[in-house]
Amino acid sequence: MKIVSLRVNGAGQAFIARPGTTLLLALREQLGLTGAKRGCAQGACGSCTVLLDGQPVVSCLVPAVTVDGAEIATIEGLADGQVLSDVQQAFLDGFATQCGFCTPGMIMSAEALLDRNPDPTRDEVNEAISGNVCRCTGYEPIVSAVLDAAARRRSRAGEGAKL
Amino acid sequence: MLTEVHVPEDVPAAVGLIVSGATVLGGGTSLMPALNDYGSPPTELVSLRRTGLSGITVTGSTVTIGATTTLSQIEHDSRLQILNPVVRSIASVPVRNLATVGGNLFVPQPYGDLAVALVALNARAVPAGGSGPAELPLERPALVTAVTFELPAPGVFKYVKAARRRWNSASLVTVAATIVELDGLVSGARVALGGVSDHIVRAAAVEEALLGRPLTEETVAAAARAGLGELSPADDAYASAWYRTRVFPVHLRRALLGR
Repeated sequence: MKIVSLRVNGAGQAFIARPGTTLLLALREQLGLTGAKRGCAQGACGSCTVLLDGQPVVSCLVPAVTVDGAEIATIEGLADGQVLSDVQQAFLDGFATQCGFCTPGMIMSAEALLDRNPDPTRDEVNEAISGNVCRCTGYEPIVSAVLDAAARRRSRAGEGAKL
Repeated sequence: MLTEVHVPEDVPAAVGLIVSGATVLGGGTSLMPALNDYGSPPTELVSLRRTGLSGITVTGSTVTIGATTTLSQIEHDSRLQILNPVVRSIASVPVRNLATVGGNLFVPQPYGDLAVALVALNARAVPAGGSGPAELPLERPALVTAVTFELPAPGVFKYVKAARRRWNSASLVTVAATIVELDGLVSGARVALGGVSDHIVRAAAVEEALLGRPLTEETVAAAARAGLGELSPADDAYASAWYRTRVFPVHLRRALLGR
């Protein structure tokens, strides 16, 4: 048993972790953040994707004790009160969620993509979400929503530059 | 199940734990899926995450990549353009952000495409404990602290990975090679294959068939025929052994000739 401290969505958190406690398990069972999902527990489906120090990772493969002190971002931290992030809003507007199980991981992968590439091509979106499996097979609206979110972000950045 | 996960702060502490029986954890992308199965035997891990082995240095043409450097770090390093298509052919972004160079040397086939490329680049593994750099693939398990290789001249390194899908799929056939030509003839060849055996294959018969000949369709077709004896592929969920053998000549040609 070890005490693990993390900054999760900007807030300091600490919990007791067993050796087998993965980052995903800690987020869900100990911190009550159930957005990230346990799909395959093999790193293959991406439904557990969160940002570890700014980079998307499959949290099911990360023993929590190995990331003591890290900065974690989950889907719960994206919205500003009732105002959704551009990616969340674009998913909602573009009907890019079906059953919703893959959505939190899909959105975190998309957020990370847009952070490093504000104007991705459709092909670059495909590559960025290739680790996130949607078994409703709604990929086209998902890819379109990510491109839409990129446009919204750029437009917002443009407005900011004018002010 | 996991009984302990050590997170030592330096290499000697990690070595001590390994000697006393702990299993090395790199990025965990190969090991953790097995351990997440609750039926796994009691296992003690030593994570290398805090051992200070991450980082890429390029001095002249000599590249040294620390063992815990992630595949994503290689992907985004402009000095390592030749490895960009290699790492992007492996798994997905959230896996590449965890998976390490050192770990890739030890993953079972048909994974380990970066290791295939490193064999073709004549990379050496630097083991912990001061013994000299070792040729890849490693004959015996060792704690690797870094891999090092010389950047080849432009156009010398060739890489093709055939998979079921464009992104995020395991190798059916991976071909990595360094081919040096002089006066229109192949004067140097290192050819490594993935996906076609239970280990990475250094295709000596292919190299032999290329040396001293012009790099033409005929030469490469003959080299592929010579190389068939070196393949011992498996049937798995990605492809049958028959299919892998059948398409090997195609992908050798695409790798070496670009068509």
